[in-house]
Amino acid sequence: MTSLLRPPAHRVSGRAVIKWAADLLVGGAVLTGVSYGFARWTVGARWDFQPVWLPWAVGALSVLAVLVIPLWRYRVHRWEVSADVVYTTVGWLNREWLLVPVSRIQTVDAEQSWLERLLDLATLKISTASHEGSSELTGLPVGIATGLAAQLAHRAHDLRDDAT
Amino acid sequence: MSDGPAVEGDTRRLSPVSCVATALRELAALLVVAVSGLLISGFNVAVYFTLAGLAMGLLHQAVRWWSFTYTLYPDRLELRHQLVGRSVKSIPLERVRGVDISTSLPHRLLGLAVLRVDAASGGDEGVLDGVTRAEAERLREALLRRRAETGAAEGAAPEEAGPEIIARAEPRWSWYAPLSGAYLLTPFALAGSVLGTAYNLSNEVGLISDGTLSHLGDTVLGLSPLLGVLAAALIVLALPLLSVLVFAWFNWDFQLRSVPNGEAGQGSLLAERGLFTRRSVTLERRRIGGVELRDNPLERTLGVVRLTALITGLGDARHRGRLLPTAPRDIATDVVAEAVGPFKEPLTPHPPAARTRRLTRAVAPALAVAAVAAGTGHPWLAGLALAAAALGVPLGVDRYRQLGHATDGRLLSVRSGSLIRHQEIIEHRAVVGWKLRQSVFQRRGGLATLTVAVGAGEGGYAIIDLDGDGAVAFAGSVTPAWITPFLARQPDPDKEKSPDGPSGDSAQARGAA
Repeated sequence: MTSLLRPPAHRVSGRAVIKWAADLLVGGAVLTGVSYGFARWTVGARWDFQPVWLPWAVGALSVLAVLVIPLWRYRVHRWEVSADVVYTTVGWLNREWLLVPVSRIQTVDAEQSWLERLLDLATLKISTASHEGSSELTGLPVGIATGLAAQLAHRAHDLRDDAT
Repeated sequence: MSDGPAVEGDTRRLSPVSCVATALRELAALLVVAVSGLLISGFNVAVYFTLAGLAMGLLHQAVRWWSFTYTLYPDRLELRHQLVGRSVKSIPLERVRGVDISTSLPHRLLGLAVLRVDAASGGDEGVLDGVTRAEAERLREALLRRRAETGAAEGAAPEEAGPEIIARAEPRWSWYAPLSGAYLLTPFALAGSVLGTAYNLSNEVGLISDGTLSHLGDTVLGLSPLLGVLAAALIVLALPLLSVLVFAWFNWDFQLRSVPNGEAGQGSLLAERGLFTRRSVTLERRRIGGVELRDNPLERTLGVVRLTALITGLGDARHRGRLLPTAPRDIATDVVAEAVGPFKEPLTPHPPAARTRRLTRAVAPALAVAAVAAGTGHPWLAGLALAAAALGVPLGVDRYRQLGHATDGRLLSVRSGSLIRHQEIIEHRAVVGWKLRQSVFQRRGGLATLTVAVGAGEGGYAIIDLDGDGAVAFAGSVTPAWITPFLARQPDPDKEKSPDGPSGDSAQARGAA
């Protein structure tokens, strides 16, 4: 499908895989812990339904997710900034293609979490007057992200017609 | 003060009568307390408290009136609240999105109005509670005229002079009210909020004790079941009638007028409605990015529809952007033509795979519940779920039938939904981006959902389950300059960049199904 649209020109940084894996690892650990607590509680409360297998299942799924999703994402996440459009593809199982014209951009932010700072990555947030028309691009090298943010903000200012 | 000459930059106060109006409103609330006090615990010291409260309220209002001033400068409206501390709110005129004048019954009796200034960014809003009607009109004119002068000239058709009535509601439209769930439930909501307020107020002044409450319970429970059933039946029968009254209350003599203001040639639409509280909302034409038509199956059978405008930066748009109350479709069509231009393009239906998906989504969850229920030995639950699944079939089919999209080169239209069907008609210039989304299930059927991002209304409107290529083609036909550089098959040599990653990317691996 959408064979009409070619993929955007650039991949995100390979270090993004580490970031996504770390995020999933933390999330998976929390979920596994919660399900372990829940299973213990059902045993303690003498419920009929005692899913002692639940933490194992959640843990196994989390490990699988950490191994598979980041690489899968890396294959999908791409970006390109043409003369007047920011074109990105994100997702893994469900895909999204986003086209945001530079002339409609209201703000551009490059943000870094602590993990991203360790990995020298940044997230670029491009927002328009509409939430649906706003895109977020994770896993860019810091230099590229800040450069893009400055360049986009500058061009958006020149072309500004934010339809508001 | 408020009767002085209309000079720019002079500082004014609200009309002194506004103290009385606000105090009257508080008096009404206090009366509720007093009456409920009388009903629940007999004549009581609490009633004297309410009288004392009224005096306090009046004093408070007087101080509030004295400490609040507003000034209209050539470029901004400044609202200043100054007593011991000081707060100044400054609204740049170029940020003014709309001006809203409402008059409740006490306000009308005293010749007052509440002016609400809607400004862009962050829901900034200025309220002038209690100016004279003439002053309200003067301010509205001044605010919107200045707005039109400072604002950049954007493409809007020049208007002929003189306000012109575009549409006017007929009293018989009130009979459409029971068709809409919202109006049916409003009496409940109103009764609930009145009871809640009364309860809270009387609770605060200590009128409700546990004893009175349990006594109340006894009297209700003491009624014979037959009487209870009768009362319930009466309420159900009365609901449609009540909804008609509520509809009339809010929408009485609804008028939509076209007002040319400012030399820049950008007019506004002015909607006025209400039986006791007259509310008039001014919507700048250049802020109207589109319109939305909503109806439910009952309304469809009678051919009536509700119309709202999609306006950038307007808070509470569902109510304030209202262009027509429930009204016959052909009248709505005329208003649409007036607001954004005529749209006559027939809607393109979506591919058959979309029907499969609508049906699956309507039926599968209920079927899954039925299977689990049957498996775990709850036959009646399984039966119920099966019935729900059966109902899902016509729903899914209708959801598919209502899907549609079209563009005529200046306007685009999107339609979806069944129990609440909504069709948006959006100006191409209001589009701020495209989001194409494909879930795993959609990929199997070669479908995708295209979301039109709009800086107004809900922010985005989804064209559900187009075929993938059709979605790209549709976006391309609306905004060719944004799409063509990224087309795989007709590369534009100037803008095309060769991908630096390995080819055979997963997005391309799967051809159109």
